[in-house]
Amino acid sequence: MHMRSHKTALTGLTLIAAFLAAPLGAQERTVLSKAVSVGRSEASLELEFQDQERLDIALRDGSVYIDDQVVGAYQAGDDLDAAFRALLGQAVALDDGELADMLVAWTPPDDLPADRKALADSIDSSLERALTRPAQDAAATSETRSIRVEGSNDSRLLGALLSQAGRLGFLEEALSGLDDVQIHVQEDVTVDEGETVEGALLVVGGDVSIAGVVTGDVVVVDGTLELEETGEIQGDVRLADARFDRAGGSLRGEIRDLSEEEGTTVTNGRDVREMRDQIRSEIRDELRSELRNELRGRNDFSLGSGILNPFRGLFRAIGGLLENVVTIFLLGLVGMGIIAFAPRNLDAVAETARRAPGRAATVGLAGTFLLLPVYVLGMVALAISIVGIPVLIAWIPLFPLAAVAAGILGYVAVARNVGEWLSDSGYRYTDWIRRSNAVYTVFGGLLGLGLFFLVAEALHVVPFSGFFRGIFAFAGFVVTFAAVMVGFGSVLLTRAGRRPEFYPMDPEEAWRQAVDPELDDMDVGTEDPPDTATSGAGTDGAAKEDES
Amino acid sequence: MRTRTLLTSAACGVVAVLGLAPAASAQSWRTVTMSRQLSGESQLDVEVNYGAGRFTVRPNDEGLLYDMELRYDEDVFEPVADFDGRRLELGVDNVGHNIHVGKGKSQGEMNLSLARGVPMDLTLEFGAVRAQLDLGGLALTDLDLSTGASESTLDVSELNSRRIRSASLEVGAADFTARHLGNLNADHIDVDAGVGKVSLWLNGEWQRDATVSIDMGLGKLELRIPEGLGIRLTKDSFLTSLDSEGLVKRGDSYYSLDWDEATRKVSIDLDAAFGTVDVIWVR
Repeated sequence: MHMRSHKTALTGLTLIAAFLAAPLGAQERTVLSKAVSVGRSEASLELEFQDQERLDIALRDGSVYIDDQVVGAYQAGDDLDAAFRALLGQAVALDDGELADMLVAWTPPDDLPADRKALADSIDSSLERALTRPAQDAAATSETRSIRVEGSNDSRLLGALLSQAGRLGFLEEALSGLDDVQIHVQEDVTVDEGETVEGALLVVGGDVSIAGVVTGDVVVVDGTLELEETGEIQGDVRLADARFDRAGGSLRGEIRDLSEEEGTTVTNGRDVREMRDQIRSEIRDELRSELRNELRGRNDFSLGSGILNPFRGLFRAIGGLLENVVTIFLLGLVGMGIIAFAPRNLDAVAETARRAPGRAATVGLAGTFLLLPVYVLGMVALAISIVGIPVLIAWIPLFPLAAVAAGILGYVAVARNVGEWLSDSGYRYTDWIRRSNAVYTVFGGLLGLGLFFLVAEALHVVPFSGFFRGIFAFAGFVVTFAAVMVGFGSVLLTRAGRRPEFYPMDPEEAWRQAVDPELDDMDVGTEDPPDTATSGAGTDGAAKEDES
Repeated sequence: MRTRTLLTSAACGVVAVLGLAPAASAQSWRTVTMSRQLSGESQLDVEVNYGAGRFTVRPNDEGLLYDMELRYDEDVFEPVADFDGRRLELGVDNVGHNIHVGKGKSQGEMNLSLARGVPMDLTLEFGAVRAQLDLGGLALTDLDLSTGASESTLDVSELNSRRIRSASLEVGAADFTARHLGNLNADHIDVDAGVGKVSLWLNGEWQRDATVSIDMGLGKLELRIPEGLGIRLTKDSFLTSLDSEGLVKRGDSYYSLDWDEATRKVSIDLDAAFGTVDVIWVR
């Protein structure tokens, strides 16, 4: 046996621990920062100490957390919740020394129910342990030399324990119930095969390798315990800031993690923390999986994941197509209204969009960027003058409405142009678009402009067509954006069709067309304003050109 | 025993009341108090961000680097208090997708006190808030203030112990008042105001001659100037009326009557688009 041990009685150690603990308990740590948070579902206290260590205690969503570890449960508004919030109520007004004094002096109310009392005691002991622990001396913690306790040199033992004074809180718990203990401080211990250690074995700041037999408990503070294949521990394993690596062997008792203040039984020899982390990871993955399934279910129109899954693409395609068709239909209805009540305005806007699409798009783009500044500046200008305030009341809702109306008018005008082009194109499926009827051209144009979107939706029925759906959807977006910009710009240039930029035709040309219905195409007249206003020939009748 | 301030006691009461009645409010209001002890900081970059609500800043006399009390909607915001030894970031971050707007919805509050005597570059950014900022007693080495649509009052009630090369006050659509600008101890003050009413009080202890640049978009500018301070006002404006009482025009600029004899002189460059400029002399 390679042990360098010092055997002492439990009473002696307890006396030493008590001797050490008494002066240290009065020395609260410096609280560098604090955060007290109180909300409907959470009450928390976060402390940061001078040595960068932290203590976080939170009652959050029904669980009690100490340093992010769940230690129990509570109910919002119960006695524990109220007691902790009352503690925070005192803590919020205090800092550093007074705060530490108050927190150390805090004791849970006696009238708490037993389970809540146990949690409150855990909080209390965590506070006391954190606040009465002296600051870590960087020089001491970084010291690597081994202090060996030899023979009965109590002064060396005292010195070794002093260097580990920060762990005295664990020692008190580790030693409870033990009768006979061998103590090793800051040294490694090996129990060889065939050797037997009578009683308990306590190692602080060192590693333990057991290939022989320990008849009592094995307590490791800040170290690693290795149980070899031939090793046997007849008592419990108690760990505080320690790892347990098990290559086999026999463990009759259970494993307790003192730093967590809760007992944990490990059957396969893995470290307690690893097992806990694994369980957490599994729970997290399970929750994520459930959440994903739930979200997927919502996106699937609640069709579930059963036999309807193969038809999901079909349903999506039908849904998307319906959505687009309804939109086109509604825009068509608006277009019909415009044709019925403002045909000349529509003619003027459409003509400008057809004759000068580039200029119209530029103006539309600029107008789009200027919408918000004009809106805000208009509000401010109206707000700072008494006369303007009544106008402001109308300005706030009407300006956005006017902008939207201008956009729709422009889009419908461009759609009419597109419809006329489709009608003239001679495509097989555009025969139904009658150029002489503006309603047909508007609906045809709307369908043409929305064609890319319709194809993108229809592609849902084709497996693995995501890339092409994206291409078509992007093309649809570009076409729609261009149409809106050209249309909006045309609306701005023509003042909503009230000041035509281009006149559909010369009056004399219109007369010739009226008397000669055989004309095939229209010569679009002149940009110079005529003496007399012309009617919207593009809307009211077919424009034919005299080819003679 | 350290003296408790009235504010802290009030906050304690608020926390206790809110805390003991966790389910009383339908909204998810949370109250957070954060503080940090001074630990020998020598120079700091302090950045404070706050979105909407009431906002106060004042100096701290209790040995704390900062003391921040926040009341916020936890569905929308989360508190920020990051310190890495050189840079201190305080305020709230937006975490939610919806910001409640309307009566009774924006009752958030942030009360912040910063350590006296610790040299700091201070950046204050806040949005739609009602702000009361008292920077008197802070050791500012730089100041950048940026506010959106707010009703804000900035007061430098005590002389800044450090010299600022250039302080920047950027005001959006706001009712903004700045008092005791002389106490800023700044060589240059840059005021960029968008829309609204801006009142600049040029009182305080000017340590040297200084310049003030004012860029005003639309609104009313009020210059409150203490008697005895030499003023030169150079105006470049489009449609702005100037009430130049107490100023005489020489060349392209307006001068106070005692400009040549004044011990401290402030040159103001005004660039305004629309609005009015009033010069008010105060004793």
